[in-house]
Amino acid sequence: MSDSDLSRALEQAYSEAAERNETWSGLPCREFYGPEHVADIDYSTALGDPGTYPYTRGVHANMYRGRLWTRREVCGFGSGRDTNERMRFQVGSGVSGLSVIDDNNGSLCIDADHPQGVAEAGVQGVSVSSLADFEALFDDIPIDRVSVAFDISGLDSIAWMALYVALAERRGIDPAALRGTVQNDTLHFQFCGYGDSCPVDLGLKASVDIIEFCTRRMPRWYTGNVNMYDLREQGLDAPQEIAFGFGNAIEYTERAIARGLTADQFAPRRGFYCSCHIDFFEEIAKLRAARRMWARIMRERFQAADPRSQQFRFGVHTAGVSLTAPQPLNNAIRVAYEALAAVLAGAQSIHCCSYDEPIGLPTEASQQLAIRTQQVLAYETGVTRVADPLGGSYYVEALTARIEAEAARILETIGAQGGMAAAIRSGWVQREIDAAIVRRQQEIERNEKIVVGVNALRQPRETATPGGVHRPPSGQGERLAEAVRRLRATRDAGAVRRALRALRECAGRGEKENLLPVMVQAAAAYATVGEMLGVVRQAHGLGYDPLGVLEAPRDLAA
Amino acid sequence: MSRPIRVLLAKAGLDGHDRGVKVVAAMLRDAGMHVVYLGIHRSSPAIASAAVQEGVDVIGLSSLGGTHLAHAREIMERMREVGLGDVPVVLGGTVPVEDIPALEALGVRAVLRPGSARDEIVGTIREAAEAARRD
Repeated sequence: MSDSDLSRALEQAYSEAAERNETWSGLPCREFYGPEHVADIDYSTALGDPGTYPYTRGVHANMYRGRLWTRREVCGFGSGRDTNERMRFQVGSGVSGLSVIDDNNGSLCIDADHPQGVAEAGVQGVSVSSLADFEALFDDIPIDRVSVAFDISGLDSIAWMALYVALAERRGIDPAALRGTVQNDTLHFQFCGYGDSCPVDLGLKASVDIIEFCTRRMPRWYTGNVNMYDLREQGLDAPQEIAFGFGNAIEYTERAIARGLTADQFAPRRGFYCSCHIDFFEEIAKLRAARRMWARIMRERFQAADPRSQQFRFGVHTAGVSLTAPQPLNNAIRVAYEALAAVLAGAQSIHCCSYDEPIGLPTEASQQLAIRTQQVLAYETGVTRVADPLGGSYYVEALTARIEAEAARILETIGAQGGMAAAIRSGWVQREIDAAIVRRQQEIERNEKIVVGVNALRQPRETATPGGVHRPPSGQGERLAEAVRRLRATRDAGAVRRALRALRECAGRGEKENLLPVMVQAAAAYATVGEMLGVVRQAHGLGYDPLGVLEAPRDLAA
Repeated sequence: MSRPIRVLLAKAGLDGHDRGVKVVAAMLRDAGMHVVYLGIHRSSPAIASAAVQEGVDVIGLSSLGGTHLAHAREIMERMREVGLGDVPVVLGGTVPVEDIPALEALGVRAVLRPGSARDEIVGTIREAAEAARRD
């Protein structure tokens, strides 16, 4: 660099100003905010103290003084035994909750020995085909005393609930003692790449079966976390994240009420799973706005009187889509900012992404760093001392109101179409998402948003992945498939056949017949996930195999 | 003027992350190419037979599930079986740089890593198609 180039570069850098005056979602911002910008926000009706309606400032008065957020790291790979070992490692690292995710086969409800499933088995999550896998997964884990989150959303949700109840009963544990959460948001699967495995109507029916079953028999279980995170990851903006998520949540609430429950019977055990993206104040405002909106929806629309029904409780997943493959260590910094925003917004639970997420599956070391990110935040920074520390900030309150108005407008559009299920069927939701996908890419290409390492401050690409790469052990898929084949050959075939026929008959008896009790029997007989959902699909007029490859076993032919 | 480059895009394997492949499809269409995107959850034989039917110049595979090596191996085999062993295959997605030599050894012509810009993506596909047409 010549002397004149050097001085020009320095001068340019010195006088550099913030370029973007809009939030990530495109909401324009003033240079500063003052009392006049929050003049119409009434403290008692729009904010309230933390722990009071409409919970804008948080669902608890003492917030983290009462209990820190749950530090979870989603876990799942290989066999039940592999994941069991990783969960033990996590507990040793100081996580405070367990969270299990299944592999692609699980999401699609096919077994590890499905011809298209062998290569996938145990890669993106744990491989679970039957109760035998659950026995290994929860080996020596006291399921009557620890809370477990199932990070699964499709029809696998109902299969996993059946497996978990069957496991509890085998151990002599009353299902009423079980604590945990199943994500159970079948609608969001429609636009997250798994729609073909989980048709809207059957998905909704299974979701409501879980809500009904747990409300009556597993009172300590959370029956669903509406997954706003995956929607946001598709490219939607912050108001859309709220509106689409609430559209789904309202759909489940209406269907559960139609099943004969009151909102206050089940809503206290529902939650949300949100993104925390990179625009710091916008994300905090988004989560505060969501709290206010949900409280009002539950009270005014569904006549919920129990405060727990009105409270928007949420877990946060830092935004995987905000991370970059180039210069991957920068991701650890992004994750830390996002987690900080989640805490300032009053999250109940946080999962931090590993810095290597855009490159591959996390290594033990990258997962450890993600946990440590939460722990530094929890123990060192002091942000846990005071509830809603940004409440009353002119800017944050104005932005909260702005996002709420925008989200309410979109929610109205969804309502006018007859609700979310109808908006999905008409293709409107997919069109909105597809438009967002293209818009996000354009923003980067036109430098409307700076992404360090992608459209600014680029460096030559890495020639090695910092920290190394996690690889599934070779032959893993074949071993997992073989274990399922062995199970099929050795289990009591008559018992399986009877249980599956009973399940299919039950599924044929209509919308209000709850599948779970009969599915628990099938799970206990070691029927596989693919078989259980296969016969349910048949009863609903669908093909046995969601991928259209397998025929129903001959002795099960309808 | 020669006919537009025909590209078949598919997800390799069962991972559902399809945002990236949709962005790539839009980029290639913007560049004047004819794009057939097969959607999610197609098997290797289905991808190979679609390649035959569509008479494509190049195949783009998207993998964000960590199974790129297994699926690339299988798809390359199916392609050879249906007589399309010379159609170039480009793979994109969450692929660690360490895996690129193994993918190339399987016959994958180029690997596009996450963070690749439009020019690089369009250029790689165009180059692959033009090289194949020359052969």
